[in-house]
Amino acid sequence: MSQLPPDDPRLDRAAQSDDALLDAHEKLLGRQPDDQAHYQLLPLVMLFVVSGCILFAATYLNRYSGHFDPVIYNENLLPSKNAPVEIKVDPIALGRRVFNTPGYCATCHQPTGQGIPGVYPPLAGSEWVNGPSARVIRIVLDGLQGPVHVEGKAFGSAVMPAFGPSGFNLSDEQIAAVLTYVRQEWTNKSPAIAEDTVAKIHQQVADHKAWSETELLGVK
Amino acid sequence: MTSASPTPSPLDETAIETAGRDPLVFLLGSSLAWLLVSGALALVASIQLHRPEFFAGCPIFTYGRAQALQETAFIYGWVANAGLGLVLWILGRLGGAVLRAANWTFVGAIFWNVGVTAGLVGIAAGDATALPRLEMPGYAQPLLLAAYGSIAVSGVLAWAGRRRPVMFAAQWYAVAALFLFPWIFSVGQVMLVWVPVHGVLQAIVQGWFAQSLWTLWMAPLGLAGAYYVVPKVTGRVLPAYDLASLGFWCLLFIGGWTGGRHLIGGPVPAWISTVAIVTSAILLSHYLIVWLNLRGAFAGGGNALRFIAFGLAAYVLGGFVDAATAMRAIAVRTQFTWFDEAQQQLALYGGVSMLIFGTLYFAVPRLTGRPWASTGLLRGHLVLSFLGLILLIGALAGAGLAQGADLANAQLSFATIAADTRPWLRFASVAQAILLLGNFMLAVNFARTVGCGKIAAVKEALVS
Amino acid sequence: MKNGSLLFLGLFAALGFSWAGIVLGSNAQLATLPAYYDQGQGQAFPRRPSGVAARGQLVYQDLNCAACHTQQVRRPGFGSDQARGWGDRQSVARDYIYQTAVQLGEFRIGPDLTNLAGRKPTAPDAVDLLTLLYSGQGAMPAYSFLFENRKISGQPSDHALRLTGRLKAAPGREIVPTPRAEALVAYLLSLNTSFDYPESIPAPAAQAEGSK
Repeated sequence: MSQLPPDDPRLDRAAQSDDALLDAHEKLLGRQPDDQAHYQLLPLVMLFVVSGCILFAATYLNRYSGHFDPVIYNENLLPSKNAPVEIKVDPIALGRRVFNTPGYCATCHQPTGQGIPGVYPPLAGSEWVNGPSARVIRIVLDGLQGPVHVEGKAFGSAVMPAFGPSGFNLSDEQIAAVLTYVRQEWTNKSPAIAEDTVAKIHQQVADHKAWSETELLGVK
Repeated sequence: MTSASPTPSPLDETAIETAGRDPLVFLLGSSLAWLLVSGALALVASIQLHRPEFFAGCPIFTYGRAQALQETAFIYGWVANAGLGLVLWILGRLGGAVLRAANWTFVGAIFWNVGVTAGLVGIAAGDATALPRLEMPGYAQPLLLAAYGSIAVSGVLAWAGRRRPVMFAAQWYAVAALFLFPWIFSVGQVMLVWVPVHGVLQAIVQGWFAQSLWTLWMAPLGLAGAYYVVPKVTGRVLPAYDLASLGFWCLLFIGGWTGGRHLIGGPVPAWISTVAIVTSAILLSHYLIVWLNLRGAFAGGGNALRFIAFGLAAYVLGGFVDAATAMRAIAVRTQFTWFDEAQQQLALYGGVSMLIFGTLYFAVPRLTGRPWASTGLLRGHLVLSFLGLILLIGALAGAGLAQGADLANAQLSFATIAADTRPWLRFASVAQAILLLGNFMLAVNFARTVGCGKIAAVKEALVS
Repeated sequence: MKNGSLLFLGLFAALGFSWAGIVLGSNAQLATLPAYYDQGQGQAFPRRPSGVAARGQLVYQDLNCAACHTQQVRRPGFGSDQARGWGDRQSVARDYIYQTAVQLGEFRIGPDLTNLAGRKPTAPDAVDLLTLLYSGQGAMPAYSFLFENRKISGQPSDHALRLTGRLKAAPGREIVPTPRAEALVAYLLSLNTSFDYPESIPAPAAQAEGSK
């Protein structure tokens, strides 16, 4: 063992004993005040660096803490001091969701809006969808029965149920959203329908039975 | 106090080692066995990423389980055993007394390994908790806690009964690691496994647990060794030692707050990630202070210091990368990608493990009373570790950047992402194989060093 | 530092400090989060998973699917999560209150699964998912051990997978999902977050991030 040459990698030699190590470092901590009165550069640099880190941290925390509010998930926002504002859902997202709910629109009219030939009319490119809003709102509120012609083809075997208060009871917001969605999806390019419009028509025609084609064509 | 003591004998033997030799050698030996196990599992998991059919039909090694097995074996098998063994050794030496309660340590070490084995078998059987860094099933965890207490007893006694009242930096870190693990682990067990908190709080507590485990336990295990070996081998005092206690307390008080780093943009209130980002920045002062203190490792020579130098560089670089990738603008691109994994490997393997390797190379000759058996295996381990780590971290970082760029583009499918990251992941597998080979060399070297010593002692006993 | 008790107390204080801040602080805010009753839809969200789905979550946990899949959707503008159709809105804490083990995930080697059953326009159905589990795709391995390849005895099973090409079972044999596979698929089909909360609504295009 002692015959090993000093730089043999198999043995890392200790250059000081444990006692010497502890002694030397203990002396460092108990150092006398510096009577030569010159600054040590290193602690000064460290002071600046640490202060810089803390300054950054404090600024960032101040700006992005969301005031530690549990409902603030976006660090750019702050909790609002006023009463909760009426939240406006994206009508397209809500409309798409209502449309695709099993049992509602997509079940018959298909997610592609093509319907089933001879049974369920298509919605993509339909003149009913893209026509006066008063008609299509009535169809959704109260349903449609009897023969109807869409894009030159005849339909009539199936009955469209009511989605208003006498049927599935969708809210005005949901009906406005689903119509807005349908009127700009696939090849349709028609303006959106507001919730107020639906509400007004809802008041006028509450409890009407399912509409027929002739009745609807009379509506402007 | 006296002037400088005479240079110690080459092996720097003290009487400390006599009582503590067997349990500590057992701890170090079992740590190396776990290192090989986790390396093999890491290789399997790594291959599965670019060849999904590898072991796909075998439920034990399905990727999710292989990943959990690998992580558990690495942290609770390799890092825990080696870290504890070395920390006990350091406390014994600096305490200036023979390690007492060595039998407790031995029994504890055996039960710790039984516990880790039970944990791994549980994960393979399907009882994993799916909590990152705490995957082992609930039934294995209390056993680990009890075993840890048993192992740590001799370390606490060595510290409490130390000859000099003033403690050295290595002792602070060693004591911190000894006390903090059971506290962190038991809180994690209770709040995540036994009486789990509700909903997304699990993710928050798990984040706190994982970061605390890293900054308050694993980093101190590595730093305790580094702070001891560097001045011992270089023979000089640590250059910025008066700042060392600031660095120590900074790590301890700030470390646990960075838990929210993985929850940026996630389903938790924004303040949790903001606090994590802010504290990651403040923690930079700790990394700077460690660098200033331990930079002597780069000047010195010798095998141990080379490992410690690499470990120090990786540890400090890891700290800066952590702070940088915690920034939201960068996190949005690197989150959920291989870049996160590269960061983890940089910290756990490049940082702590390399620091532990350095301390191991310094400690084993003193524990066994003879130098390492083979220079070739020693050099081989060094070269392969350096090479393997640089390749692994580079490959994972590259994969992460490619994946992040692809994920950000909503038009690109996951098939494209898989194709883009595949070449990088192949390099990562090669790197894992290189690392495994290097660690195998270390294990063989260790076995020969310990074995030769035993054989020589037996021969002596027979002759006399 | 020479006082051992002071060091001990300091260690305890350090750990307690971060624990109190992060764990206790968030616990105070989120521990008793209630479900949200939506007047428009007439029910409370999130919905509780069925028993089979809860068993499926255990399978998800034991196979550690979270190693490759996340279950969190980030807000629009913060990554491409919503552009990829993974969800209408950001995931929030309330989404997870009825999950026994929250699996947010840390890696996206595969797609996010938060709203798998609510994806528009078409969500995958049980057959799609079972076939995917059996065959694997891209980086996802084939989980053939979740299925039983058995001899057809009498009538072929209703549950048998209809596969084509090289995955097809040998003549006289069928591939039937095990109860674990069915539970896992039931769990995946219960992952549906197509509803809103006051703190998280689908952001209309005009209200992109930056506005208060």
